[in-house]
Amino acid sequence: MNSQNIENKPQVMKESKNKIKVDFERTPLLERLKVKFISMSFLGNLIWYIFRLVLLIGIAYIVLYPFFTKIAGSIMPPEDFVNATVRLIPTKVTFNIYKAIFMELDYMKAFVNTLTLSASTALIQTFICCFIAYGIAKFNFKGNKIVFLLVILTMIIPHPTLQLSLFMNFRYFDILGIFKFLAGGATVGDIEWLNNILAKIDIVPEAWDKWWTPEGLNLTNKYWPLIILSATGLAFKNGLYIFMLRQFFTGVPAELEESAYIDGSGTMRTFFQIILPLSVPMMITVFLFAFSWQWTDDFYTNLFFTTTQTVLLPKIVGIPTSLTTNYAGQNLYYAAIRNTCGLMIIAPLIIMYLFCQNFLVQGIERSGLTAD
Amino acid sequence: MTNEAKLQSTAAKKQAPKRRRAASLDRRKARAGWLFVLPFVIGFVLIYLPIIFDSVKLSFFRIEVLAGGGYELEPVGFQNYREALFVDPDFVQVLLTGLTELAFDIPAILIFSLFMAVLLNQKMAGRAVFRAIFFVPVILSTGIMESIESQNILSEYMEESEGIETGTGESTAADIVSAIDVERLFANMKIGTGIVSYVTSAINNIYDIVNRSGVQMLIFLAGLQSISPAIYESCQMDGATGWETFWKITFPMISPMILVNAVYTIIDSFTTDSNSVMKFIASTYEKTDGNVISSAMSWMYFLIVMLIIAAVAGIMSAYVFYQKRD
Repeated sequence: MNSQNIENKPQVMKESKNKIKVDFERTPLLERLKVKFISMSFLGNLIWYIFRLVLLIGIAYIVLYPFFTKIAGSIMPPEDFVNATVRLIPTKVTFNIYKAIFMELDYMKAFVNTLTLSASTALIQTFICCFIAYGIAKFNFKGNKIVFLLVILTMIIPHPTLQLSLFMNFRYFDILGIFKFLAGGATVGDIEWLNNILAKIDIVPEAWDKWWTPEGLNLTNKYWPLIILSATGLAFKNGLYIFMLRQFFTGVPAELEESAYIDGSGTMRTFFQIILPLSVPMMITVFLFAFSWQWTDDFYTNLFFTTTQTVLLPKIVGIPTSLTTNYAGQNLYYAAIRNTCGLMIIAPLIIMYLFCQNFLVQGIERSGLTAD
Repeated sequence: MTNEAKLQSTAAKKQAPKRRRAASLDRRKARAGWLFVLPFVIGFVLIYLPIIFDSVKLSFFRIEVLAGGGYELEPVGFQNYREALFVDPDFVQVLLTGLTELAFDIPAILIFSLFMAVLLNQKMAGRAVFRAIFFVPVILSTGIMESIESQNILSEYMEESEGIETGTGESTAADIVSAIDVERLFANMKIGTGIVSYVTSAINNIYDIVNRSGVQMLIFLAGLQSISPAIYESCQMDGATGWETFWKITFPMISPMILVNAVYTIIDSFTTDSNSVMKFIASTYEKTDGNVISSAMSWMYFLIVMLIIAAVAGIMSAYVFYQKRD
């Protein structure tokens, strides 16, 4: 055995100056395959591989199943809902529901409105959250910790808790009494003569009288409440974005900024020219979150948009008049219509997600999120 | 930081005038820091604080809506709170069931999302596709979709198959796992029925759990990616099995993320619209005209949530492992 081994010692030949060729006897293919495939570790790997695949496919099915039912329901004719033999596959395909929603529920108008609102608020939120997160992560000023705690606090307080006062605040919007004062609505305690003088002040143009009253600005049914909330980092889930971005900025090496400072760049310039370009993937992630959560949000849209003047996508869910029926399968049919509304609302998001999902996952992966 | 301080002090010893400049740079940086967080601070002080203050104040008042469109406030002290706790027949009940539900859901979400993150972190064919599918709920199943889904009879109808045989189309939606079968299976093993019923209910709620663990999966994935592969390599060299590696390396390294995710999950599930307590509060808000019991309810709820978060974070942070960095 030993002597044989020495005889079969691989021969090293010099082919050229930088290249050598090692010539040794290979084990026959059959034996190699045997070692590879008939072993416990291979069997274990195979079982694990199959188990994993089955599990993943199963869960993927669970995730996608509601969408399958929605799509199936949206193309079924109404008769199929009373036909017990029809489940996921319709007897014939109709697009009546889509047509009716598109024509009768102001879909296009709502789409344009929602696009403007979501894109603008998401852009503002992305930049403002970057600003705030950078300030918290990279500057050691007094009160840094407190500001961060306050950010977390805004995340913890459920917004429905503030429902009533949120509405009141933007129905009679006023900052430090300025808007009231300009419209003549300011009062100082019970001093009558002063209040009389204050009541005479009215420098608000008459065209604005409708929404600029002495009680304050009426910002409902406008985009302003959401834009104001976004511009101050208080909008929906902004605490989460700030938290994510803060983790990301904490991971950016301080040497980058230090060298920029030494070269004479100010903090703002450093932020815009060094830090922002670095954090584009992370910003896209935050933008995607902000955009799609604003797109489907129904809490704020129901709260701030009380009239039908500004149609937004989450508010179009309903039954088009041409589709109202009284027959047996009514409940199911109406459920299918409502689901189709939902499908049409998120259709643009689905398209966006297909293109951007890589950014979403990778942005977070690269963030080096750590919990300290 | 300490190095900087040392440098500064030595520099100060050598040349006294230089020291002032260094201090002013620090101050300038502090000022810049305030400038960056200014939007938030302004918004918090001018908009958020008044809103919170109003909301707390309102919970001690009764609103009279006047015919002209205005409103009048009448202070009633703790009456709203008293009514919510002792007069309203459902509030305490809903609160208790809601809390127990969450005590079941949150561990399930955490375990599931950690498991899925570990799976999705492995190299395999089609990983990108699976990832894309699993994060669909994060983007698409929020807000209006959630409220459509909460009263959706369509998917239940599509799910059932018994109607086909009987021709009636009526049946109870089939559970994925029948609790009775599993219990029979485990009856002879010495596992408590509590655990069995917990697992079966978790599996039957799998859609809900998958839906709510998207962000957590992302956070865990990010955490897994940040563990240095060198550690795994050296484990392999020392002959550790995958199981050992998970419990000795992955789990401790990911434990800060578990804390973050636990807090996030609690916040998230306590504040979504589909939460039963939130639903109850919202319905009370719509029902009651001129009285603000719902405000009082939600503040009490918020206090409870804060206490729970503080307790969970306090207990968990004692066990969290932080890798020492230099």
